[in-house]
Amino acid sequence: MWTQVEAILRQAMTRIAEHIANALPGVLVALILVVGAFLAAAAARALVVQALRGLDFDRRAEHAGFGGLVDWSGLANASDAAGRVIYWAMLVLGLLLSMTALNATLPSQLAMSVFQYVPDLLAALMILVVGAVAAQFLSRSALIGAVNMQLRAARLFAMAVKWLVLLVAVAMALDHLHIGRSILLLAFGILFGGVVLAAALAVGLGARDAVSRALERQMQEPERRDEPVNHV
Amino acid sequence: MASTGSSSSALEPDASLRPADLVVAVTSHNDARSIGAVARAIVEGAGRSFESGAVRLLHADTGSTDGTREALREVIPAGSLVELPHQGGFGGGMPYHGDPGRAHALRQVLRVVQETSARACVVVDAAVQGITPEWVDQLAGPVLQGRADYVAPYFSRHAWEGALTRGIVYPFFRALYGVRLRQPAAREFGCSARLAAHVLEQDIWEGERSPAGVDLSLAAAAVCADFRVHEVALGARGTARAAQADLGTTIAQVVGALFADVERHVEVWQRIRGSTVVAVSGTPAALGAATSGVDPAALVESFRLGYRELREIWARALPPRVIVELRKLADTPAAAFRFDDRLWAGIVYDFALAFAFRVMPHDHLLRSLTPLYSAWLASLLLQVGHAASADLDARVEQVCQAFEGEKRYLISRWRWPERRR
Repeated sequence: MWTQVEAILRQAMTRIAEHIANALPGVLVALILVVGAFLAAAAARALVVQALRGLDFDRRAEHAGFGGLVDWSGLANASDAAGRVIYWAMLVLGLLLSMTALNATLPSQLAMSVFQYVPDLLAALMILVVGAVAAQFLSRSALIGAVNMQLRAARLFAMAVKWLVLLVAVAMALDHLHIGRSILLLAFGILFGGVVLAAALAVGLGARDAVSRALERQMQEPERRDEPVNHV
Repeated sequence: MASTGSSSSALEPDASLRPADLVVAVTSHNDARSIGAVARAIVEGAGRSFESGAVRLLHADTGSTDGTREALREVIPAGSLVELPHQGGFGGGMPYHGDPGRAHALRQVLRVVQETSARACVVVDAAVQGITPEWVDQLAGPVLQGRADYVAPYFSRHAWEGALTRGIVYPFFRALYGVRLRQPAAREFGCSARLAAHVLEQDIWEGERSPAGVDLSLAAAAVCADFRVHEVALGARGTARAAQADLGTTIAQVVGALFADVERHVEVWQRIRGSTVVAVSGTPAALGAATSGVDPAALVESFRLGYRELREIWARALPPRVIVELRKLADTPAAAFRFDDRLWAGIVYDFALAFAFRVMPHDHLLRSLTPLYSAWLASLLLQVGHAASADLDARVEQVCQAFEGEKRYLISRWRWPERRR
């Protein structure tokens, strides 16, 4: 009986050894890919940060309206943020490639599905970038316009414009990624409905008299279109 | 030139484009209320001063819908008027002066000057009020007598009128191009055929800023090419056209056109130091007492609000030292509110540099200048108030000298942008 047990154990050990021997090159390749990806990501990050700093990217990004995004990232400046994005993208890419080298079905499928998701991810990122630029531009336009109209709440108005555009951009990006679509829609409905209702109540209850006086003035007085002073 | 012919005889009865001594062009956009008076003054002026058939009258309308063309036809005999075709479809917003097709209209007028081999051209805006028959001869005379190529009007104005011209356009134009042309953005002018041919070759007609700034660009093109410039005192000028833009938009359009010309003529203005006096015909009219429509205290408040909310935007264009000065100014009580001339000149130059280096969208940059301009205007009004024209001119002269003095800074920063005060 012991002879049989020994034979079975030997066969098992042989099979395990064979499996390990078969898997070992794949593991080795995966390890090499991971290490290579790590080194390449670190080098790319250093190069990108250095190049962007040389191009005065931090100041330009600040001017273009990416200041808010950089603040969210918790990093000191836009060059570091861009370097960090490159670093992690390359590292994740290396890890996914190394999974396919293992020649296992599940990791390979995971890697493929992640690769298929990349275009959506890039599109969402583009939406965020455009949203951030638009938010900065429109917020500054609103601020300057409100100050020139001598509105005391100019800053508040500009902030409202900025966050509105940013929220819409984030919502669009998440929608593009198919993340929480129905919840997002519901949240937006509640949020905007709430804001409009609050504004209507504020005007209707709080400033009812002022509004009626303004309307009366407008209806009684003839339209005044001429600027009293010619500045040119 | 001088003639005592009848009012209608000076106009060429045949409207075809045959040679003429003088082309008088009326530009209009929805000016049915005022174009009749303008046309009558021109016809009378042409009749008094020019021989029969020596004057060709043009009408360059830019799409009026209020019967402007018909109103003019009632005054000018049929066949004596050349109506230039309207291009239509002008892009962009309405310019501050309310004539969206002005650049195209002026271009057409100057082409007619070339085609008719006219010696001189006079352009008059149909919205102008206070025009007299003498204007035609006053604007055309120096050109026809060979004394000038560009004749600009010199209108008498109260301290609160034309402050953008007094505070920015004139001092900046004078310091940069070295010519003391007081109203370079004026919409009435006279010019020679030589100048017309020159400006038609310039790239001032189709830019984003040409609808609002073509008159300014034309004056800049004239002085940069060393054409002889002359001024005529034409009295007071009013306009029948309602303002089409708020102050921020007006500043963005006028100052934007001024700054765009800076980039266009960079080789010229960097070589110029000081400025030369422009000969003036006539005596500036003394203005009667009038009430200002501007409250300096409100302007100071507007500046304070601007300082509180826009200083981060200003800091992108202005050096830190200037921001500190502005903070001090914002803390100053209204009674003692004074805007230093050199500080003001430096600010305008810094905005011109920021415009050239595109530190932010042009529209944002130019509109953010509004509270600073309000502060300067408040300071001017608090200093001169209802003073006589001579005192006002003396005050503006001080501002101009500050601009000339600070020009070194502009040149230095233009050449070495990283340098800061």
